[in-house]
Amino acid sequence: MADDKDVLRDVWFGRIPTCFTLNQDEVTEREAEPYYLLLPRVSYLPLVTDKVKKHFLKVMKAEDVEEMWLEYEGTPLKWHYPIGVLFDLHASNTVLPWSITVNECWTQIRLHINDNNFPDRDLLHCTSNSVIEAHFMSSIKEADALKHKSQVVNDMQKKDHKQLWMGLQNDKFDQFWAINRKLMEYPTEEGGFRYIPFRIYQTMSDRPFIQKLFRPVSPEGNVHTLGDLLKEMYPAALPNDGEQKRYQVVIHGIEPLLETPLQWLSEHLSHPDNFLHICVIPTPTD
Amino acid sequence: MAAVTANTRTLMTDPVRLSERSGRVAAPGGGGRSAETWKRDILRQLRHRDLSQHDRFQDLIRFYTQLLDKTSLAKGILSCSSRRLSSDSSSLSALRHQNNQLKKTTGELAYQVVELQRQIKIKECVLEEQHARLLKEERRLASAFDARQELLERVEQVQAENGALKTEYDALLERQRGAETSLREEKVRGGHLLEDMIQLKKQAAARMNSRNERRSRAREANLQKELQTAARSKVTVDSPSSAPTSRSTSPKNENGSTERKHTRLFRSASVTSPRILSSIKGLFDRKRRGHSVCSLEEDLMCPVGVCLSARVPVRARQVLEAHEQGINAVRFSSSSDLLATGGTDRVIKLWEVRAGSLTHRATLEGSTEGITCIEFDPMGRRILAASYDKSALLWRLEDSVPKLTLTGHSRKVTAARFSSLSHQVVTGSADRTIRLWDLQRAACVQVVEVASYCSDLVCSENCIMSGHYDCKIRVWDTRTVSCVQELPAQGKVTSLDISSDHRKLLSCCRDDCLQLVDLRRWSNDRMCFREEGFKCGSDSTKAVISPDGCYLAAGSADGAVYIWNVSTGNLETRLPDKHSSSISAVSWSLSGEYVVSVDKSRLAVLWTDI
Repeated sequence: MADDKDVLRDVWFGRIPTCFTLNQDEVTEREAEPYYLLLPRVSYLPLVTDKVKKHFLKVMKAEDVEEMWLEYEGTPLKWHYPIGVLFDLHASNTVLPWSITVNECWTQIRLHINDNNFPDRDLLHCTSNSVIEAHFMSSIKEADALKHKSQVVNDMQKKDHKQLWMGLQNDKFDQFWAINRKLMEYPTEEGGFRYIPFRIYQTMSDRPFIQKLFRPVSPEGNVHTLGDLLKEMYPAALPNDGEQKRYQVVIHGIEPLLETPLQWLSEHLSHPDNFLHICVIPTPTD
Repeated sequence: MAAVTANTRTLMTDPVRLSERSGRVAAPGGGGRSAETWKRDILRQLRHRDLSQHDRFQDLIRFYTQLLDKTSLAKGILSCSSRRLSSDSSSLSALRHQNNQLKKTTGELAYQVVELQRQIKIKECVLEEQHARLLKEERRLASAFDARQELLERVEQVQAENGALKTEYDALLERQRGAETSLREEKVRGGHLLEDMIQLKKQAAARMNSRNERRSRAREANLQKELQTAARSKVTVDSPSSAPTSRSTSPKNENGSTERKHTRLFRSASVTSPRILSSIKGLFDRKRRGHSVCSLEEDLMCPVGVCLSARVPVRARQVLEAHEQGINAVRFSSSSDLLATGGTDRVIKLWEVRAGSLTHRATLEGSTEGITCIEFDPMGRRILAASYDKSALLWRLEDSVPKLTLTGHSRKVTAARFSSLSHQVVTGSADRTIRLWDLQRAACVQVVEVASYCSDLVCSENCIMSGHYDCKIRVWDTRTVSCVQELPAQGKVTSLDISSDHRKLLSCCRDDCLQLVDLRRWSNDRMCFREEGFKCGSDSTKAVISPDGCYLAAGSADGAVYIWNVSTGNLETRLPDKHSSSISAVSWSLSGEYVVSVDKSRLAVLWTDI
């Protein structure tokens, strides 16, 4: 179990070195220096980019900039995905640090001129942290609905919900896991959760992600592994015999072995929103 | 920074492939091992990820951020000053503006200083508070330490106490173990003793059996011999008798009925049969010699014989080695023709007294230890003996095995006497009890507890007199079984004897003095008989009164028999030289003519006046 606890810690404290640069199109007083930051993998972009915003505001002429959106190599980064997922999905095999372009938009323009550069098609507006909190809590509830028919999360008190959120917001591992532990419990006789809350992301697809019902244990009583899940959901991700591996299956920046039990993955490698986010990306061709 | 990140990709992918390979190798190995493999693989990959993505950039990014802050600050100041330098001629307003700005920054800084000072104060307060708390805690710690010290001391004390208890316990345990060992040894010894005893009993039984067999064989042989002699004598008797008289029966008939033969023999062969003649002569002899007033018939019917005059013996008629070991007791039968001696060799021997000589007649066996005391019953048909084997035994004269064995005493029986009631006997024992036994029921009917070792006792009408080692003679009433009188003696009483008229009681004590008490006048009239040279040889030395009550006889430790005259109180005679060791007992025949003394060195001496 000591190993399992280490895994939880490593997952929580995973960091991505990031370089923020201001979009060249932005109107500035003077040239902006790039800003470097270690981003927590399990968090959300708006929660950790306050300093970035402040840094770039110094050089901006306009003082009424309200919202900031980020993109990587022309791809707008969805704030409602965990940072780690964004990195694994878009930039896992690129040179570090991860360079993100910062775009600023100010209210007046957005309000008055419809011709704004904000990618409304790809991004949601994030006006305050309460929006993120709502999204985060809804994810947890959805995951618990899959795992325990929402019994655990409904039995929790309001302050427990708050503690989960505050734990994530303030990067407090112990505070978060004191409550999250309950969400990861399951009756021993069943051998696992009812369904595994997972999402499979792919780079080249119109669908945002794959999410279906999948049990951790087969009807015959065998334990389902990561390989079983992929075979069911995304057979193309598995390498055929004698063939060069075409896809990488990345969780938290690592590639777990396909025989890893899915239940254990769900307990230990899930994000704080209780979902197991799996990225399937093409193997880089050197 | 770019250089550092250059080959991240290869670094990242390599261990993955490696782990995949190892996973594939490990997979067939077994479920448990592969389970460990994937977990270890995940851990390793996570470490590697953190190393390449986090640890390398951590410091760089921190330094960069600090640098950025500093440069922005410096840039701000520089831009201000450079502007002032470059545009010297610029408007005053610009300078003023700059001044204002500087002031503003100063103010801001001052405000910051104030703020910081306030924070310092707060911190100090907190510090002080913490200090106070620390002091308090220290005090508490000290007190706790004291308490701990105290507790430690108590622990030590308790431990010491425990140690003491433990040693005590150990000692007790040791003692218990010792006691158990000794108990076991004792048990083993007891077992051995029991075995030995059983062995001895077996041997005794075997001996008894062989004796009985031998005896029966002897009897058979005797019978055979008698038959033969009878057959032979029949020829001598028959031939003259058949010649003169035709009344005599055939030899075969004579064998058939003893009674008829007896009567006929008596009548027809009175002259020719020497046995009958001698027995008749013996009867007359006894009558003449004994001066006894009671006839033979009377003697048998009425046991109380009176001797008119006893003759003081002067010579030893016969000295014989009567037993195999020391002789403890001797007694004449009331008819004076039979003497019984009992010794340490466990048997009683009966001797026929005839014409101044002792002839061995029978041996009575049955006791398993030495005999201490013998008495004939008044009819002279039974003999009672006390034994070292804690029992008293009763024989009929014709049987060599005891008719009764009276057991119940817990130590040796020192005295056994017929009581005035013919079916009762009284025994005294070293176990400090006197017991009354009923011979018809062969059971003990009464037990009297006495304070002291009972050495001898005699019976009179309705009373028992017992001599004890506590220098007292106790008189008991047999009807109430209570001590009615205590007579003092000079020493340990070794024997008692009562005169035939039951008037005088003789006691022999260890202070070498015979004491004669007149029973009619209790304790007033007491005569003491002493003599230089007379020493009471043992704790059971027996002295007697002569049958006519005129003399006292006792054996001394020097091997001489001393005889005192009661009326004068002086020594009548001293019979020395025959015994070589201490005399244990003497007996005076009821006819008055014989005295027998026995000693510890197996000798019995018959004394007479002729």
